Amino acid sequence: MTVAVRSRSTVDRRAAGFGVAAVVVLLVLVYLGSGGLRWFDAALAGYLIGVLMAVFAVVYRYLVWLQRPPTARLNRRGWEAFRRKGRVGHNAVGLAGLVATNLLAQGFIRHRSAARWAAHQLVFWGCLLAAAVTFPLTFGWVHFESVGQEASQYQAYLFGVGTGTFSATSALGFVIFHLLNISAFLVIAGVLVFLYRRTRDPGALAVERSGDFVALAGLFAVSITGLFLTASTLWLQGRYYSFLTNLHALTVILGLLYIPFGKLFHIFQRPANLGVHFYRDEGASGPQQRCRECDRPYASAIQVADLEDVLPMVGFDFRDGAGGNWQEVCPSCRRKLVTAAQVARVGGFG
Amino acid sequence: MANPLIAGKMFVIDQSRCIGCEACVQACEECGTHRGQSLIHLEFIDRGATTQTAPMVCMHCEDPTCAEVCPADAIKQNEDGVVQSALKPRCIGCSNCVLACPFGVPKYFALPDQMMKCDMCYDRSSVGLKPMCASVCPSQALWFGTPEEFDATRRGELVFEFRFGNQLVPTKLATVVDHRDDGPIDVLAEAPKRWQDDPFGLEEDAP
Amino acid sequence: MAKPPLTEEELIARYGPHLNETPPGGWNAGVEADREVNTHCCFCGQQCGIRLKVKDNEVVGFEPWYEFPFNEGKLCPKGVKRYLQGGHPDRLLEPLERDGAAPGGFRTVSWDHALDRVVAEIRRIQRTHGNDSFAMLSGVSLTNEKSYLVGKFARLGLQTANLDYNGRLCMVSAGVANKKALGMDRAANPWSDIPLADVVFVAGANVAECAPITTSYIWRARDRGAKLIVADPRVTPLARTADLFLGLRPGTDSALMTTILHVLVANDWLDHGFIDDHTVGFDEAAAAVADCTPEWGSGITGVPADRIVEAARLWGTSATGILLHARGIEHHTKGVENVLSCINLGLATGKYGKPGCGVSTITGQGNGQGGREQGHKCDQLPGNRDITNPEHRAAVAEVWGCDVEEIPGKGLSAEEIVEAIHAGEVKGLLSICFNPVVSLPDTAFTAEALDRLEFYGVIDFFLSESAQHADVVLPGSLHEEDEGTSTSVEGRAIKINAAIDPPGNARRDWEILLEIARRLGRGSYFEFGSTHEIFDEMRAASRGGTADYYGMTWERIEAEHGIFWPCPTEGHPGTPRLYEGGVFAHPDGKARFHSVRYRPPAEVVDDEYPIWLTTGRVVSQYLSGTQTRRIGPLVEQYPEPLCEIHPRLATRLGVETGDIVRVTSRRGSMTLPARVVESIRPDTVFIPYHWPGRQAANQLTNRALDPMSKIPESKVSAVRVEKAEGHVEVADRRVTTLEKLGRR
Repeated sequence: MTVAVRSRSTVDRRAAGFGVAAVVVLLVLVYLGSGGLRWFDAALAGYLIGVLMAVFAVVYRYLVWLQRPPTARLNRRGWEAFRRKGRVGHNAVGLAGLVATNLLAQGFIRHRSAARWAAHQLVFWGCLLAAAVTFPLTFGWVHFESVGQEASQYQAYLFGVGTGTFSATSALGFVIFHLLNISAFLVIAGVLVFLYRRTRDPGALAVERSGDFVALAGLFAVSITGLFLTASTLWLQGRYYSFLTNLHALTVILGLLYIPFGKLFHIFQRPANLGVHFYRDEGASGPQQRCRECDRPYASAIQVADLEDVLPMVGFDFRDGAGGNWQEVCPSCRRKLVTAAQVARVGGFG
Repeated sequence: MANPLIAGKMFVIDQSRCIGCEACVQACEECGTHRGQSLIHLEFIDRGATTQTAPMVCMHCEDPTCAEVCPADAIKQNEDGVVQSALKPRCIGCSNCVLACPFGVPKYFALPDQMMKCDMCYDRSSVGLKPMCASVCPSQALWFGTPEEFDATRRGELVFEFRFGNQLVPTKLATVVDHRDDGPIDVLAEAPKRWQDDPFGLEEDAP
Repeated sequence: MAKPPLTEEELIARYGPHLNETPPGGWNAGVEADREVNTHCCFCGQQCGIRLKVKDNEVVGFEPWYEFPFNEGKLCPKGVKRYLQGGHPDRLLEPLERDGAAPGGFRTVSWDHALDRVVAEIRRIQRTHGNDSFAMLSGVSLTNEKSYLVGKFARLGLQTANLDYNGRLCMVSAGVANKKALGMDRAANPWSDIPLADVVFVAGANVAECAPITTSYIWRARDRGAKLIVADPRVTPLARTADLFLGLRPGTDSALMTTILHVLVANDWLDHGFIDDHTVGFDEAAAAVADCTPEWGSGITGVPADRIVEAARLWGTSATGILLHARGIEHHTKGVENVLSCINLGLATGKYGKPGCGVSTITGQGNGQGGREQGHKCDQLPGNRDITNPEHRAAVAEVWGCDVEEIPGKGLSAEEIVEAIHAGEVKGLLSICFNPVVSLPDTAFTAEALDRLEFYGVIDFFLSESAQHADVVLPGSLHEEDEGTSTSVEGRAIKINAAIDPPGNARRDWEILLEIARRLGRGSYFEFGSTHEIFDEMRAASRGGTADYYGMTWERIEAEHGIFWPCPTEGHPGTPRLYEGGVFAHPDGKARFHSVRYRPPAEVVDDEYPIWLTTGRVVSQYLSGTQTRRIGPLVEQYPEPLCEIHPRLATRLGVETGDIVRVTSRRGSMTLPARVVESIRPDTVFIPYHWPGRQAANQLTNRALDPMSKIPESKVSAVRVEKAEGHVEVADRRVTTLEKLGRR
């Protein structure tokens, strides 16, 4: 049973509308960016369809998620805190820093384990690199043309505008043509570290959720089938190429469709952590909630007030008859009072 | 009532028996699912007045407040009712769960910027092995076993419900009372007088 | 002059205590342990079973050992973290010789050099001042095999009478009393008797902190409906849950017990059949308490008279009952009398030799029970034999293959050895597993004594505060680095399995002793190839003694999860419960009542020192802390001694929790933070004793000895308490500790 995500029988029309709108916007951008489909590679159409479906589902799920009361409240508070008068400049600088340290360098993971951090960085940068290469290619935003009569000279075009030329046999050319292979190696290395840690750690295995392995398996499948294509070209004289192309496309499309439903959705959820930072800062600079038992401050008043608002929306009422609210007791005193109440119910001991 | 069993056994906490030794705190961090982090709570109620200590593991609510207030869908409850630690990729470190849990269970860890909480040592309990705290607890204030074992060896009756003002919270874990019929544990109830209030009989002879 | 070569601070900087926080190899090391070894905790007499996880010759963690019947996986915090003493930065890995010029005050030397020096000093001192001028102090954290070896080594290797051990600071008062009254020195019961009792009477035992697992046995009794009586000057965690609490004044235990006997007699809550058939001396004992009315007892003890009567009623009218006592009644100049007064209660009501009945001491130290039986006590030979008894001497001489005359006579007890050193009568000392500077009362006196030694050799794995005085330190072995047996609080011999080998150039303790003996030219008595061979000689030496191990084998001990002595013949099942059918160990089979009359402690409060001081332990520390003060998570639990003061006294002194107070006795003075608690008597303060130097509670305590057991009176002295300068935050350390999140 999943508590937090309750299955909803009805379709959220608003979220669906935004999803459709996002798909339309992307289609328009593809059309414009590919010079009216002139540079669009029809062989990649399957990928485009996969992307469009994923975009719809991600937007839909994201919006449904944002409507949950605690999420909505945090979302609002995060933006309010960010836009606070006289703080926008400061916050914008802070945001840039947070993006670098938190979203890109992911230092917080290192505090759990250096190996886990390294693995996550490998997968993260591998995926980012692959996306940076494949998405523009799929959308027809980037394409390559050979220059002059020499088959080894290429020029890259971005939105139809020619950029630098390079030789396929040069080091630069090698890197450009093998960017996806490089990303595949990064991802596979990261996945293997993750798998190694997981399979040898009974503790981690016990709390493993099925989605964890699916995500790793998917990343592995996409990467390895991509490498198969290169292997076929380089060493098998192109044998099995078309089969491998279809296999790779299948893994990629399935992967894209998995993003909104599985573990990888955290890619879109995680940035909310930045909002939490601003919310936390705002809370720390404002009044603090004092415990009604011990009178010690234990949280920002704004967060306790938010929770007192949100809790009834999700079905809880911690008020007492005397106008108090259990939420205004600090966690430590809650634990003590629970014990005191139990001790009072036991005669012999206690 | 939530199903109290996991792998045929149940977890019972009887705070009144706690001797405050912290074996549970020390053993908690030896658990496989959260090595190096102690997630159980133990503190004196008021050391000036009494040696009574308050141990607190996750009560594994039937409808966990922590999960409901999580903006990131990071707290999941397994089919067996065990409420897990925040999913690491999802938890955004907002501490809503820490503040909302009526029992004060989840802990926020600043450096990894996330919440972790007692998961009943899921690697152990899910296969019928005692969680670390209940394994070592010298007074067995923290107890894990079959209902039959409990009936055969322990006195007191089990209660699976707590009242916090208007809110009734049913839990997977049980606690012990003399008479179940007196209802859920009411955290706001008045405490009766007992000899511990004046252990040396000082009030008896006027000072 | 065995003075520390450097200041305390400099020595600490080099040799610790430093804190080990995490397992060797980090928190993930235990995931792929090479193996798990069934063995036992080293940190108290309960000897809980534990499985140590081993990887690459390091102990990296533990698993509960659910199958071991005594504790079924349960452990106290010391047990949980015991594994952190391994892989420790302070571990001594090389022999050391004192050298004020060397960094750290000691220089590393070869084993040959160190051993030669030790042997040369022994020879020189004994040649000049006589054999007994070289003494040995030992400890009961050692296995039975090593205890036996030390006993033999001192007598036949060093040829000195002056061997004693730190069990002298443990349960010797109980040992003497049990021998006098019952004829045998062992807890009367296996712990499985506790749950069968209808009343459990705990006297002077902070069970929750000093024998935590015993709590679960007491709960099991209460789950059956048993009543719990606790007598203590403090409302310990166990006392808090008692049905009847007797908050007596320190040093008045025998007054409480004699009053209870008075009430038993007055109400005829007696078992006359048992008294007539199985005991002698009841009439005299009853006559001795004729005047001990509840009013008299209440006046002495400070316990309301009606509570004393109620205790007598519960004890006297319950069909079964267990009385458990520990250091609280034993560390007194009348420790033996205190225990005898408890035994009288058991005998008067027939509570011996049947299920759920007995009066038992909770032995404190790891092998406190076994250690004293194997003969490294100044008055004992193996098998709990008496060193002054010609028959006993002859029996042991035969096993040892020596002339009876070669076995020295009774020597000085531990405190007396220190006094003899102070007086210049004992010039040389070899110690193993004993930290007298912290453990013994009157710290300043003990340190002064060690300073006066001509030579002090120490075998230890860490540089303890006493070892700081040493001329030569020989790096010995940890509990998990050697194999053998020990005997638990119940009298159950259990198997200690080696998990790892000693690191670096450290050696197993027994190998060191053998080598010294060989170099002293006494090697022929010490031709052991293993601790198993020592065990075989030990059980033979115990044969026919009261503590008879003859029928035990290592294999049986392991397979049967321990064997209770006496186990006189092979195949004998062992003897969990003593005195079955009321047959006691005296030749006539009868127990002795003793007439006990209350007498005050050696030091009583007066105008100058108006407050009682009692000392004790905390759950996270063990003995002098040589091991546990080096384990980070345990130190964090209770980082420094606090002075417990009742609010009434605190108000009078103007003191609040965290304020620094100065506590002064006739021996010394110390400052420490106060913790104001209602759980202590208003006329008494409490300080735990595990710390050295300026934090040592034993700076204040009294060296006065019980005339029979020679135990010092560390449980009661008179002090003055004043407010001093300063304040620290001590309120609820547990919270600060736990909220210090992300620490690992």
